[in-house]
Amino acid sequence: MDAQIVVEDLVKVFRVPEREAGLKASARSLFQRHYREVEAVGGVSFTIAPGEMVGFIGPNGAGKTTTLKMLSGLLYPTAGAARVLGFVPWERKPSYLRRISMVLGNKSQMLWDIPPMDTFYVLGEIYHVAPADLRRTLDELVQLLEMRELLTKPVRNLSLGERMKCELVAGLLHHPEVLFLDEPTLGLDVSMQGRLRRFLAEYNARSGVTMILTSHYMADVVALCPRVILIHRGRLLYDGELAALALRLAPFKLIRVALSDGGAESAPSLPAGVDVIEQEGGRLTLRVPRADVPALTAHLLNALPVADLAVEDPPIESVIDQIYQGGEV
Amino acid sequence: MNHRGGLALIRRTWLSWMQQRSFFFLLAFMWMIPPLIYLLVWSTAAGGGTVGGLTRGQFVAYYLVLILVNQLTYAQTNWTVGDVIRYGNMNTLLLRPLSPVYDALASEIAGKVVYMAFMIPLTALLALVLHPELRVTLGNGLAFVPALALAWALRFFWGYWLALLAFWATRADALLGLQDSLIFLLAGQVAPTALLPGLVRKAAILLPFRYMVGFPVEVLTGQLDKPALWTGFAFQAGWLLVALFLFGIMWRSGVKRYAAVGG
Repeated sequence: MDAQIVVEDLVKVFRVPEREAGLKASARSLFQRHYREVEAVGGVSFTIAPGEMVGFIGPNGAGKTTTLKMLSGLLYPTAGAARVLGFVPWERKPSYLRRISMVLGNKSQMLWDIPPMDTFYVLGEIYHVAPADLRRTLDELVQLLEMRELLTKPVRNLSLGERMKCELVAGLLHHPEVLFLDEPTLGLDVSMQGRLRRFLAEYNARSGVTMILTSHYMADVVALCPRVILIHRGRLLYDGELAALALRLAPFKLIRVALSDGGAESAPSLPAGVDVIEQEGGRLTLRVPRADVPALTAHLLNALPVADLAVEDPPIESVIDQIYQGGEV
Repeated sequence: MNHRGGLALIRRTWLSWMQQRSFFFLLAFMWMIPPLIYLLVWSTAAGGGTVGGLTRGQFVAYYLVLILVNQLTYAQTNWTVGDVIRYGNMNTLLLRPLSPVYDALASEIAGKVVYMAFMIPLTALLALVLHPELRVTLGNGLAFVPALALAWALRFFWGYWLALLAFWATRADALLGLQDSLIFLLAGQVAPTALLPGLVRKAAILLPFRYMVGFPVEVLTGQLDKPALWTGFAFQAGWLLVALFLFGIMWRSGVKRYAAVGG
């Protein structure tokens, strides 16, 4: 299938004013300002097919939001090219803006003092959605998000999670073909995060919308995005399946063992390459190369009074942390 | 142009403002205090005679009309443009297929309706107590309508281009404060333009501020002869063109800069 989003060597350099702390520096900066060039995005390329759900991951300041802002037309790139739905995003043609949507976790487009329904009506008019179509779409979204009772309450009386539901509805009323989600679950509790994730997955399956999602909650990415693009210091470090990334970065598994004698016996002799990463009473956590897992499991079961044994993948957070710290894949 | 979306926006802003009407009533009350003070000063000064050819009742009429015109042309929206830019809320507006100027126009129109709901009864009450002397001729009444419309447009776009300086400077709203002070001095609030001393009067006639408030008031209260009326309209239209031109430049280069540095 043809790519819907094509990004080639996209670069964004910001000129940031800087000065040292203190009154003297402040006075000096009145007359002579110093600027530093900061490369937020340094030549990123990728393509995304229609209907894909792609996770944009990377530490704070990696260039994720800057890239999303360029693709949604809010920022001009310093160099490089991009086409979304055949449009150059930063030309900001109304015909382009009508076909995309961007939901920002830290910015609201709801008006504070009036019920969400009034804002939805205005958005319907701004995007030229026919009234019957607007009603139908609204019904569907409201049902999926279980939020009918929110429609008539003033926005200021809604909780953060309820407001986020409204933001999602507001972003989807005009049936965008591409949806940019910047930290949509920011600050939400675990169950609300889960509900929004289920909603996004179901909405994608129903409508075939292309989604690019940035999030610091790996659970969002694991649940929603078969493909991840990892950006670090403005450069693309990885583009592919999340599972393959974990495998490449963490070629080991964790074996958790609970001993029935409470750890009275001394620890068993372990083969080389196996680390004890936690030991507390009768509980042991071992880090084992993937290939050695079957043999070591058998050895442990034979040698020790095992009450319980579990083999797990290392948590994705620790895998990602490894990249954020090290800066390479 | 997306008028359909613009109209819906006006409706929504109006609904939102009606939620906070007591705040806006208080604001409107605050704005009418300075002209009210000058109303009392000048009508007392005139006493039983005249000052600069105006009787006590004519001063009352002048200032009551000025109170209404001042509120109708006051572009309170311009004060929020800077914050919208500074706090990155321009992002949400730029993502929509609708020019952000509609947001400003929407709150302008919504605002006027809320203010007038408060101001018209209050001014009527003041008129009952203070006995203004106002004879509106058909000609003056007809000329007042375009003079008022142009005054609003001039004050709105002049303030808007100043507010758009927020794309470059952090606190461009200081300039709006300066504009308000100049309007206070030169737009017929301290005294009707005809009563200002020589050099200040010349400045008032040449600069744009009189055409934002004082000029329509002078038109309705019949203070201007025909040549003065036409010169006034010429100045008003000329300054409006300048304001629109500056607004256009500021808007285009401002958004370009916003897209370069980010919000």
